Amino acid sequence: MTTVTQFMRSFLAAALVVLGASAAVAEPAVGANLASPAAAFKAPYLPSSDAEVLQDVPSATDPAVAAMKALRVQADAAPQSLPTAIRLADAYVDYGRQIGDAHYAGYAEAVIAPWLDASPPPASALVTKATILQYRHQFSDSRALLRRTIAIEPRNAQAWLTLATLDMVQGDYEAAAHDCVQVTGSAGLELGLACSANLRSCTGQARQSLTLLGQVEGAGEKVPLSYQAWIQGLLAETAERLGDWPLAENHYRRALRLVPRDNFLLVAYADFLLDRGRPAEVLPLLADHTQSDTAFLRLALAHSALHSGETARDTWIMAARFEALTLRGSDFFGREQARFALELEHDPQTALEIAQRNWHAQREPWDTRLLLEAALAAKQPEAATEALKFLQKSRLEDPVIEPLARELQAQLERNR
Amino acid sequence: MMRHTGTGQGRAAARTVEVRSWLLSLLLIPLLLPPAARAHSASDAYLNLIVHSHGADGQIAVEGQWDIALRDLDFVLRLDEDGDGRLTWGEVRSRQDAIERYAYASLHFDGGPGDACVIKPGRLMIDEHADGAYAVLSFNVLCARAPRKLALDYRMFFPIDPSHRGILVEHDGADIATAVLSPENTRIDLIR
Repeated sequence: MTTVTQFMRSFLAAALVVLGASAAVAEPAVGANLASPAAAFKAPYLPSSDAEVLQDVPSATDPAVAAMKALRVQADAAPQSLPTAIRLADAYVDYGRQIGDAHYAGYAEAVIAPWLDASPPPASALVTKATILQYRHQFSDSRALLRRTIAIEPRNAQAWLTLATLDMVQGDYEAAAHDCVQVTGSAGLELGLACSANLRSCTGQARQSLTLLGQVEGAGEKVPLSYQAWIQGLLAETAERLGDWPLAENHYRRALRLVPRDNFLLVAYADFLLDRGRPAEVLPLLADHTQSDTAFLRLALAHSALHSGETARDTWIMAARFEALTLRGSDFFGREQARFALELEHDPQTALEIAQRNWHAQREPWDTRLLLEAALAAKQPEAATEALKFLQKSRLEDPVIEPLARELQAQLERNR
Repeated sequence: MMRHTGTGQGRAAARTVEVRSWLLSLLLIPLLLPPAARAHSASDAYLNLIVHSHGADGQIAVEGQWDIALRDLDFVLRLDEDGDGRLTWGEVRSRQDAIERYAYASLHFDGGPGDACVIKPGRLMIDEHADGAYAVLSFNVLCARAPRKLALDYRMFFPIDPSHRGILVEHDGADIATAVLSPENTRIDLIR
């Protein structure tokens, strides 16, 4: 047992009041309401009408939900079928990623769990588990499983592709280049091209990346929507590296026309809009996606940029969500937490500490950017030394990051 | 996209390769997207317990409040009866028995040898958490004799979601303590 934090004490206060009076509670415990903005949360209550909508849940009429349900029936009927289990688990992972809901990674984990007990476990189950771990930012464990997979099946395309993603996320571009070669060898030229285009957009070759992606983009309607959307998303990000905002926006919009509720794309486009000083457009974009923490943070940032009265409430809710994650002993969510501390709590010192810790786990452009922003805000340029070296070595192009790096470099030279 | 040239048999073979290659892509693509795409809210339930100790004989009474996400309950019990994606109080209330059966089958209190404890369910309410609406199950723990020791065993959702966590908050007088219940940690001694 650990002592509960001060924050959680206030969070639990309402529950405690109701509990203490539980035998006598006949009416909603209005007295337990916390002061605003915490008043967003009522104490436990009895809804006044059967028609009151309490919660949005996946709709049975959603084709993806129906497909998962059908796969579940198949899997339950044939528990010995590995391919069925993998299809169901992958469907859960994909759906959860799309709508930004981590529950589905847990459902997938349960589906493949029996197969991981086998000795040796089948490669497909190892890769799916590695993907789940990667999704949860448990990078070392994920990498270990991918290595085991490749030891069993040296040409397992999915393992190489996942490893390439992992190496890129962690900024190990030499390893990623090797992985992309293996992807080409095991999955074919198209995926190999997409893999290296993705890599080049982070290594000073964004222009070439655009050209490569243009070749892959031509595959058109013959390929799955999620693949087309992924390529459009890569094109958008690469255009951002080059500071070509209209091109980036065009690709974000095309991607979202293909997969309108994709959490990753919605959040990336929201970041684009926030960067371009267009926070008002973020509100309608993410209005239906408050369940996702990453989307919710962007809504809060948009409200803040608009000096909206919602900001205090958003900040409170976001803090409560992070607190819930801490309570459950969950893995680390540095990127969002650093940005939250920097931009909503205006606490550059905390932001810098989180950003530094995060940067040791993952080094995508946004992770580096947050570290530089936090180091500047906290007036501690030396905290960015390692990141500046990394930028020089990788030659990342980014019109937002470059001026930050120049400013920090200048400060470091002045201090020398 | 690779282009294949050739005629007759050769072209047919090439087309097969092409289709197989894209079938492979179909299987691979969903997993390709960067992990940054994650959103973080995994499944949590909050188990609040108030432990009352009475008098010198050490008798113990326990009251509980258990907050379980409606999203999680909907996944296992399909509460959204009309399937419209909007879970109403009517839909939840009409399945109260099923919710309680499911929940209380995965929570047990143990007062030690010869002292089985049972849960007496109370009312069902709703609470808003930062990540959505939760069902609130209130209950009392009744033991055959007043226990001197008490342990709880928690396995909610673990068979279908090993990433679920039960956040136990124990209120004992002025003290508040928390613990995290997971598939690796299903049993907690409340009173030793």
